[in-house]
Amino acid sequence: MNDGASNRSTRTEAMARRRIGTRASYLLAATTQTGWLQVARWRITKFIVVLGLVVTVVWSVTGASYFWPGWVWFGLLLPYASLLAIRVAIHASKRPSLAVHGALALILAATGIFIWLMGRLGYFWPMWLILGFVITLAVHVWVVPLFSNDREKVLERRVDVLTRTRRGALDVQEAEMRRVERDLHDGAQARLVSLGMSLGLADELLDSDPIEARRLLREARTGAVAALADLRSLVRGIYPPVLADRGLDGAIQALILAVPLPVEMNIDLPSARLPPPVESAAYFAVAEALANVVKHSDATHAWIEMGLEDGNLIALVGDDGNGGADANCGTGLLGIERRLVAFDGTLQISSPMGGPTIISMEVPCES
Amino acid sequence: MRVVIAEDLALLRDGLIRLLSAHGFEVVEAVEDGPSTLSALIGQRPDVAVVDVRLPPTFTNEGLVAAIEARRQLPGLPILVLSQYVEPLYARELLSDGVGGVGYLLKDRVMDVSQFVNAVRQVASGGTVMDPEVIAQLLVRRSVDEPLARLTDREREVLALIAEGRSNAAVAAGLFVSEKAISKHIANIFMKLNLPLSDDDNRRVMAVLAYLNARTAHPEK
Repeated sequence: MNDGASNRSTRTEAMARRRIGTRASYLLAATTQTGWLQVARWRITKFIVVLGLVVTVVWSVTGASYFWPGWVWFGLLLPYASLLAIRVAIHASKRPSLAVHGALALILAATGIFIWLMGRLGYFWPMWLILGFVITLAVHVWVVPLFSNDREKVLERRVDVLTRTRRGALDVQEAEMRRVERDLHDGAQARLVSLGMSLGLADELLDSDPIEARRLLREARTGAVAALADLRSLVRGIYPPVLADRGLDGAIQALILAVPLPVEMNIDLPSARLPPPVESAAYFAVAEALANVVKHSDATHAWIEMGLEDGNLIALVGDDGNGGADANCGTGLLGIERRLVAFDGTLQISSPMGGPTIISMEVPCES
Repeated sequence: MRVVIAEDLALLRDGLIRLLSAHGFEVVEAVEDGPSTLSALIGQRPDVAVVDVRLPPTFTNEGLVAAIEARRQLPGLPILVLSQYVEPLYARELLSDGVGGVGYLLKDRVMDVSQFVNAVRQVASGGTVMDPEVIAQLLVRRSVDEPLARLTDREREVLALIAEGRSNAAVAAGLFVSEKAISKHIANIFMKLNLPLSDDDNRRVMAVLAYLNARTAHPEK
């Protein structure tokens, strides 16, 4: 018994020493901050080591058989080890709750084993403790995330969606800018260059060939009109003036006036204007949907419904055409979807072969 | 002829003043925002006004709103509305009082000086001048519904030209037919659109309005 106790004592001492060493290195690694905190930590560490050694020396001098300093070591180290384990767990893992759970289980299991070592050994009862911890940890690892609406998971998914949609929105914007640049370059800019040339030539010919000069002046005027027409259609594609003037309701009325089939319109929006980006996204979405009706559906009749529900703008565009609309063929519907997704909106298409087609869009419009 | 001009861009305002003065108009007031447009229109009661749609302070359709309000207070006050873009919806609003003396043109048309001055004179004399662009936007539509479906293609062509503010003679010249044939077409149009008997100018306005009103299922507000 005595032999066993002294054996155990050296073992525990070594364990304790090792633990202190590990803890100290953890401490060095974990604390990047300098100053009083670190100094205080080192003082506490030194205090623990010195006190542990002192009681161990007292024990060896008194020659007591039972290694009671083990309990002093235990009392000194347990709070410190617990705090450190939790601290490391929080910083080390993607799932801090699980890591803390694991760390605490580890500390408690170690405590059990220590108490068993300090006691009479024999039946290894901490086994049941460890088994319990393993089971609860397993539940935490596999079962809990299946049933709980894990906030972390939700946030992770949200970040994924935001990353994707932000990229999509930037792509849309980039493509738009490039289109504007190209349209300006090939349209208005080119026309103005040719207009300037006509004017220059007319200036030269004014005295020698007034008839030709007059022809060139007319040509210049035609060119100016054409340049204006180009700019107008460009502006309409960027932000339709009627949308700024009249809001969604009026702009969609104007849209319907230019569609070559009867469109029934039922718009129920508050008189206060919606946030401009939402208005613009919804306008272009409805415009694209109507353009699809005209181009592909062979419909004789279309309808639009629009309203606010629970802070969401809901727009439905339907027709009595052939159906078979698919977002994956052609860029139109895909473009709408990407525009809407940038505002957390959604697009749904119901278009069985033979029709009817209903395109429903939903955009949250709380700013 | 006394003219009021409402245009916020100094460059265009001065250009319009110069252009109209050179053609024998007397510019009695030139204003540059919505509220002063309305007070100038009411205060001056000009023979004709040239008003830009987009004016301060809102830079939306301030000019159009002022024009419609002025004509509500002084029915038939001749106003020619100019804009960088035309919207059939606004054309319909301008015409909806059915009185005439209204024009709606793209600013581009100012470049064809003689035609522009003609348009101003026509509006001053109670006529209706619609920009060909408005008509073009409306012609996109297939005619499947009432009342325009009852018109023949030729009659629709004639109606489009009338909407632009052309006289019978000008329509006849444009379509290479006799004026007499045009008169017959016009009589048919009026009949098919169920327009009440009244003076010819007013019926022309009504015909154009019918044209603009066709196929808008949205109830009038």
